[in-house]
Amino acid sequence: MSDKFDVVVIGSGPAGYVAAIKAAQLGLNTACVEQWLDDKGAVKLGGTCLNVGCIPSKALLDTSHKYVEARDHFAEHGIKVKAPAIDVGAMLKRKDKIVGQLTGGIAGLFKHNGVTPIEGRGKVLSGPRVEVTNSKGETSVLEASNVIIAAGSVPVEIPPAPIDNEYIVDSTGALEFSEVPGRLGVIGAGVIGLELGSVWGRLGSEVVVLEALDEFLPMMDVQIAKEAGKIFKKQGLDIRLGTRVTGAEVKDGKVTVTYATSDGDHQEVFDKLIVAVGRRPRSEELLASDSGVSLDERGFIYVDDYCATEAPHVYAVGDVVRGPMLAHKGSEEGVMVAERIAGKPAQMNYDVIPSVIYTHPEVAAVGKTEQQLKSEGVEYKSGVFPFVASGRALASGDSDGMVKMLADTETDRILGCHIVGPSAADLVQQVVIAMEFGSSAEDLALTVFGHPTLSEAVHEAALAVDGHAIHIANRKKRK
Amino acid sequence: EAVMGPAARQLVEEHKLDATKIEGTGKGGRITKEDVLKHLKEAPKPS
Repeated sequence: MSDKFDVVVIGSGPAGYVAAIKAAQLGLNTACVEQWLDDKGAVKLGGTCLNVGCIPSKALLDTSHKYVEARDHFAEHGIKVKAPAIDVGAMLKRKDKIVGQLTGGIAGLFKHNGVTPIEGRGKVLSGPRVEVTNSKGETSVLEASNVIIAAGSVPVEIPPAPIDNEYIVDSTGALEFSEVPGRLGVIGAGVIGLELGSVWGRLGSEVVVLEALDEFLPMMDVQIAKEAGKIFKKQGLDIRLGTRVTGAEVKDGKVTVTYATSDGDHQEVFDKLIVAVGRRPRSEELLASDSGVSLDERGFIYVDDYCATEAPHVYAVGDVVRGPMLAHKGSEEGVMVAERIAGKPAQMNYDVIPSVIYTHPEVAAVGKTEQQLKSEGVEYKSGVFPFVASGRALASGDSDGMVKMLADTETDRILGCHIVGPSAADLVQQVVIAMEFGSSAEDLALTVFGHPTLSEAVHEAALAVDGHAIHIANRKKRK
Repeated sequence: EAVMGPAARQLVEEHKLDATKIEGTGKGGRITKEDVLKHLKEAPKPS
């Protein structure tokens, strides 16, 4: 094996493995360094997303959703089942199998494309070179014409509730509970907290979500966030805003959490506590002092619009750099960087990145929110269509939520779309495509949508922007 | 031939415009509704 490469990628998550595959496809001799090992000591590709993030959480969300369907909704359809029981062990085994299948798939893709996987922890040296320290403690140095750092992120820990991996866990531990906790506390009502709270809440946990901010889902459109909050409450999630956790004590197999609100101090006792307050870049012990790469004040690697660091031929992508911490954002940055290394003028559109919370119903968004447009002083129009007016949604018994479309008053260009409802992730993607092509709301309004489909709600919201929706009473427009 | 989205196509038809004279700013030079509106604002009305 040569220890000189055109490209050395550090990290094999969605940003790193995609960058490596793309670079190899472009004819570059590429290696990908990964420190993560499975229980058998083999390299585990796929990073956070595949191993302890997107994929396993979605597997559990789907299982728990089916359970709720059988328990609470089959009877409406005239399907009689005995009260269903959940076998948590079997659920976790299924999840692990899916993870194994996908991570193995990446190993296969590396082989197919000629990417060399290298086990160990990577560190960027000047040159650029990459120092690799493997699990046996042996160190080697790779010469690299280009380095792509894709080291990812890790959960943020908070002093009042230190992780013990038994009673107080982070998102990774929350994917591995061997039984359904009777009472479950979640610190943080963000994407991760809501998804993991939903999983165990559906399976029977009494879930209390403690959120420090006074506002629910502040990054989402305020109308959609409000609607989502109502739906989650109806589902039994007890979300308490404006609560600051001050301590967590484990005693006799229970966690006692103390928290402060505007009306004083409170206490709750849980069987398990999930700390899901955020993630931070994994940038420590990653850079030699003379690497030439610098970090910003929050620990992110400093990069320009094209993910170039301050060191020549060293790039950084994914959660370790600025921007939303989303798998698809990292992957697209990986593609852009690989193409730029190969001499192509690639760029990426940071304005049109979809984001999704995979609760049921899903919450999805692209572009600007109404509050952002207001603060920027943009004149906009809004069209809203509720799923309760969708034939398809009613037929499947899944009619909570709405689609909201925002467009520029003057040009009619779509500025954002915000959805809470069934298949919101897939519906918002249609608007992502439209926005990429500079569509107006009228463009979508004039497009034929199949009937009956959930997508028709996107069509009707686009029609509603100018007061032309068919299946709802349109708001009277001025002028 | 100019590639247009449905709203741009409708506007061009409505105002009997020559699409080849409109500058497309969309992906791959596509003409967006915005481009047609801008063209209408700037171009003198046909007599």
